[in-house]
Amino acid sequence: MKLFRNFSIDKKLSIVVILLVFSALLFSSGFVFFRTFSSFESVVENNSKEINKQIILNYESHFEEIREVGRYIELETSKLNNANQTNLFSLYNSFATLNADIISISLVDEAGIVRATSYANYVQNLYLTEHEWFSKAIENEGIYFFFISPVKKVFLNTDEEVINASKRIEFYINGEEHVGVLLIELSTLKIDTISKQSNLGEGGHIILFDDQDELIYSSDSNCIDSTCLSNVLARDLIIGGKFVEINGTEMYMSVNTIQGTRWRIATFINVEIISSSQSTLLMMLFYVFITTIVLSIVGTSILTKQITKPLNQLKAHMLEIQNSDHLYREVDIKGQKEVVILAQAYNDMIKEIRRLLDRLVEEQNEKRKTELIALQTQINPHFLYNTLDSIVWLAEQKDNEHVIETVVALSRFFRISISGGKDVIPIEKELQHAQYYIQIQQIRYSNKFDYTFDIDQSILGFEVVKLVLQPLIENAIQHGIHEEYKGLINIKAYQENGFINFEVSNNGYGLTKQKIDEIYEKISSDNHESVGLKNVVQRLKLYYGPTSGIEIISVLDKSTTFRIFYPIQGGGI
Amino acid sequence: MKKFLILFISIMLLSLAGCGDKEYEIPLIIYDSEDLYMQDFEDLIYLNDDYAEFHFTSYDSKNSQIIQNEIVGDVFLNESNVIVVNPVDRLGVYPIIAKAKENDISIIFINREPIKEDLLLYDKLYYVGAKPEQSAEYQADIIIDLFGGNPDSLNEFDLNEDNIIQCVILKGEPGHQDAEIRTENVIEELLTAGFEVEILTVEEAYFSQDLASQKMRDLIPLYGESMEVVIANNDAMAIGAINVLIEEEYFIDENLDGIIDRATETWFPVVGIDGLPIAVELIEQGYLYGTVLNDSETMAQAINELAFLLVSGLDISDFSFVIEDNKYIWIDYKKIY
Repeated sequence: MKLFRNFSIDKKLSIVVILLVFSALLFSSGFVFFRTFSSFESVVENNSKEINKQIILNYESHFEEIREVGRYIELETSKLNNANQTNLFSLYNSFATLNADIISISLVDEAGIVRATSYANYVQNLYLTEHEWFSKAIENEGIYFFFISPVKKVFLNTDEEVINASKRIEFYINGEEHVGVLLIELSTLKIDTISKQSNLGEGGHIILFDDQDELIYSSDSNCIDSTCLSNVLARDLIIGGKFVEINGTEMYMSVNTIQGTRWRIATFINVEIISSSQSTLLMMLFYVFITTIVLSIVGTSILTKQITKPLNQLKAHMLEIQNSDHLYREVDIKGQKEVVILAQAYNDMIKEIRRLLDRLVEEQNEKRKTELIALQTQINPHFLYNTLDSIVWLAEQKDNEHVIETVVALSRFFRISISGGKDVIPIEKELQHAQYYIQIQQIRYSNKFDYTFDIDQSILGFEVVKLVLQPLIENAIQHGIHEEYKGLINIKAYQENGFINFEVSNNGYGLTKQKIDEIYEKISSDNHESVGLKNVVQRLKLYYGPTSGIEIISVLDKSTTFRIFYPIQGGGI
Repeated sequence: MKKFLILFISIMLLSLAGCGDKEYEIPLIIYDSEDLYMQDFEDLIYLNDDYAEFHFTSYDSKNSQIIQNEIVGDVFLNESNVIVVNPVDRLGVYPIIAKAKENDISIIFINREPIKEDLLLYDKLYYVGAKPEQSAEYQADIIIDLFGGNPDSLNEFDLNEDNIIQCVILKGEPGHQDAEIRTENVIEELLTAGFEVEILTVEEAYFSQDLASQKMRDLIPLYGESMEVVIANNDAMAIGAINVLIEEEYFIDENLDGIIDRATETWFPVVGIDGLPIAVELIEQGYLYGTVLNDSETMAQAINELAFLLVSGLDISDFSFVIEDNKYIWIDYKKIY
């Protein structure tokens, strides 16, 4: 069960459908087979019984005819006052002659002496009373007995099989009543004729046997004595009917009595048609079975494919997304309606997630920007103190001109720093801001350095995130002022290949390659230690994307240049 | 759940117990349900079933031994260990006996007696019936009585006063044991009693009323004058004969009261055998002179009692009827006239 649970949907569906179809088919075809076959079998059985009945009726009417003759002869015989050969010969003889089935008619008295016979010449057999036909008849009044006489006629010693019909009768000799037996010898021809007339199919045959189970007659040349299979089978059944196999042929055997005789008849009717039709039916059912199974397998696989293929696509897509950042690709699925709807919903969900994520990123950026600006705009108390100290010093020197100049520069510097709360300002303003700063610092450092501005006037109108130059200049002043010689700070602004570039260089000792790497390291590191340069770079990247950045170029003992760059945004302000 | 299980099991047990109480079914296989005598006999067998242990179920062999063989084959498949068989062909029952022996089933044969040889094949075989000779014997007694009982001096029914009884015999199916024996024995009995008998004709009417009428119509022109009594092997043929004799004015109901007064009105003696209800009625009305009642009622009682003993496995010696040779239960006929 657990195993089954772990199967994929198409496997499950296929298994269930095939199992259902298989069992339903097995059940229904089994039902059809046994139903059809059993009804067919009973039809054949009934038919066989009917044939058996017809044959028996034929035999019975034959024997009845003989009895009829016997009754007439009995009546005529008993009417006579003297029943002897003289009086009876013509009567007996005419019946024996006219009726093809009757060979002879004889009257035998209690002592076994022949009183009358249809034979003109006959041999008196000495032991007639010992014959079964005689003893049985004399013992049982009113009954005709039929016996088969195996090899010879009773009176004429010729080799011919005959049937003896005998009955006890009463007759008169010289007016005196006697008891005797009327014997009618019959030809076996009629028995053979009747059996030959019956249609029993290939190998079908008839056997007759008596109350001692001795074979009397057989229409089958394979069955010549009482030990033959047909006789054994019939003997074992006693009476009734059943399916038997004889010489590899399926037969229906019916055993019945022939009325008025003590004989039984067994008919064997070929019923091979049952097994042949059975195999035809089986074959047909097999084809139907296979076709249906194949069709259902194909149908199921098509159906499950239709459901599972889009599902699998969806699954693959989801897995892909789980393992990578392809959040921006929507899935395109065609196929089963429900799955298409599912995919649609999935796409909508992805879109929503994407939107939320974008907003989140944006919000994060905004927050970061605000933070960074806040940090940048924090007034360096040191700078303020130094500047105010410088102003105090200038005031003591009564250098009013420079006091004014410094105070003005300081106020403008702060004004631009604030910029009415705007983050982005025109480059021109940024440069002004830089200039105020550098002015203040020049006074503070008592002209220990010079500076130059080399500005591409065409870029003044473009915008820039504010306060990006000041940290660079601060850095340049810090590292570019020496006691031995006057420092020089060069500020350059230009556009190149769609990028705005600001360069701040000093003529200090320069930086080693190692030092430069350290600086890069610091800038790109994730810790929150805020350095002026790092702040600048982060803000540039936040506002202008990853193509913006910083580059440090240093020539030892000669110069160091910090260049920041960012792509031009739209037109000017 | 447990309760349900207990309930379920009890119901099962109860129904099983119910099965055990089922009455025993004994197949009653009649040779031909068209036979009027057998219809009456069958009814009597049912009426005399006073036993709770079993009941009869009838089967009709439709006068075909083949059908009877099939029926026997079928009932042997059931759980019957006693069957009652009225053979179609009395010579043809030996396979049925062989089958019964194989299945250890008792058979009570009725109405048609199998030959002795066959009854000796197996010990659980019985025959309940009347000795056919006895019916003839009794029929002869009635005739003797009719003619005054004195063979030396017959009364007024000896129409030609020759002291010989001139009779017409209506015989049943030739070869039929009853027909042969009745025909033979009635004459024999009369002769034994010292009467002289002249058989004018023996007509085979196959126990049939219609056939008897037909034969009678044919023989009246020939023997109508000389015949003094009509002896029929059974009541049906006697009735067939009476119908013709009424047409031919051998019976004249002068006061048209539907009854022949033998003292004052014209009548002719006809005797039958069987004692059918209609025959008894005709005797009361004065048409039929006499009949011999095949005492079906007593036979039915014997059959029921024997079936009860066999079904219950009781000793046959408790049987209230005499059993001859452990096989034959002979029931006496009764004279009605």
